[in-house]
Amino acid sequence: MKSHSLLRGFVLFALALVLGFALMGFEMLGSRYLYPYFGGGINTWASLIATVLVALMLGYLLGGALVDRTLSPRLCGLLLIVAGGYLMSIPLWVDALFDWTLRAIGDDMAGIIFGATTLLLLPLTLMSVFTPFAVRLLLTSVSYGGRLVGVVYGISTIGNVLGTLVTVFAFMPMFGSRALTMVFAAVTIGCGAVMVLCDRFLRGAEA
Amino acid sequence: MRSGAAWGSALVVVLLPWLAASLSAAEKLLEKRESLYNNIFIFGDGDTVTMTFGQNKRYYTESSMKLSDPGALTVDYTRLMTLGIAYPPKLERILEIGLGGGRTVSYLSAALPDTAILAVELDKEVVDLAKKYFRFKETAKLRTVVSDGRRFLMRDDDKWDVILIDAYRGPFVPFHLLTREFYTLVKSRLAPGGVVVQNIEPSTMLFDSATATLRSVFPSVDLYDGGGNVVAIGYEGPTLRQNELLARAARVQERYNLRYDLRTIAAGRRLLGRVAGKVMTDDFAPVETLRAIEQHNEKWKEHTEAPR
Repeated sequence: MKSHSLLRGFVLFALALVLGFALMGFEMLGSRYLYPYFGGGINTWASLIATVLVALMLGYLLGGALVDRTLSPRLCGLLLIVAGGYLMSIPLWVDALFDWTLRAIGDDMAGIIFGATTLLLLPLTLMSVFTPFAVRLLLTSVSYGGRLVGVVYGISTIGNVLGTLVTVFAFMPMFGSRALTMVFAAVTIGCGAVMVLCDRFLRGAEA
Repeated sequence: MRSGAAWGSALVVVLLPWLAASLSAAEKLLEKRESLYNNIFIFGDGDTVTMTFGQNKRYYTESSMKLSDPGALTVDYTRLMTLGIAYPPKLERILEIGLGGGRTVSYLSAALPDTAILAVELDKEVVDLAKKYFRFKETAKLRTVVSDGRRFLMRDDDKWDVILIDAYRGPFVPFHLLTREFYTLVKSRLAPGGVVVQNIEPSTMLFDSATATLRSVFPSVDLYDGGGNVVAIGYEGPTLRQNELLARAARVQERYNLRYDLRTIAAGRRLLGRVAGKVMTDDFAPVETLRAIEQHNEKWKEHTEAPR
């Protein structure tokens, strides 16, 4: 029973790390999609960063509300699969959409935020639903609740840091943005599949 | 997670004292402006005014002018860039991406009074400082637009006889101004017979990729060695024979009586021979990484041929 819950903790921490990595990887890739249309300035970065933070906020709120209601790893996994599918589809429509954005909305703040939002808001919101799920699934006693929240967010943020640095300094010089988008999206879908397939295991004692 | 901005400011804090120490006594900082995009420094040194970006004054000079002779183009490669006007069949409209101190367009505007010249500059503060310190004046025939160069070209359908591109931000060219998609857009905005003139820094791997990318869009690429920078001129159609280019240079020279003789500049022409680098695209353009790999100086010449 002890080793069972250890393994469960390990799987959820690993998912937090990998999803944190992919999330910031997508933020960095987002800049490569936005630059050609909206310019390579600080405006583009501000819009991109704000969009990602809004996605985190929405994801945390949504995830918290859902996990209290359902406690279902399967539901969280399905949302991750939808996120991955959306991200995978980006290369198919991004150029047409941004062309249209420039003509219909323009290239100032409204246009850039619209671009960043359609690119990343939905999938990154669904990805950050994971964090409150992980906390709640691991929480069996309030007595260590503070430490648990700290560790889950800590691991997820280490994933963010690695995703930022490794994507920019190692992956982007080697692979194209579209290829990286596919790989990160596939990883996100993989994480979702783990949660769907291991639904009973990840529910642990409370199942 | 949001450590990028904090690192940036930490870097500035660390570098500033060092920067201050690196200035020689003769040069005076006339003005420092922090814009949305750059840290811009204006230095005065007796007769010379210089605009630099970023932290390192010695390497990232954007523009320079002699007060006693403001019409002179003091930076070698900017003289070479003026050769672009020898190529096209007419000179009605010239576009420049990247204003700097505005010396090149001011020179061209003074020499070609009937030509409409437009400079697209990302940074409004650069335009202001060009007017304040570099005697840059907008006229009916010489105008500026504050915009990202690529954004401007996407939104504006006008055709140009010459497009000059010199969009360095300190040591870097933003990746979206160095890709095949960008040059394809540039080509679509050239009038028949028009040319693109690009300033490229030859000491890193980025040079090979930049010339390869130009060549992937423009069948002919001529190179001119500007002592530290290389000027590439790309155009449609077969490579001009050297006599033909010299004849055109002579015609334009005689008509406009330019201070820097186009025939002399044209004589320094090299042709891009073997393409050594990888073509950059919007999808894959590791400009920062390529720039970090240094090459031996002058190596780029091994890939060029003499014109015939």
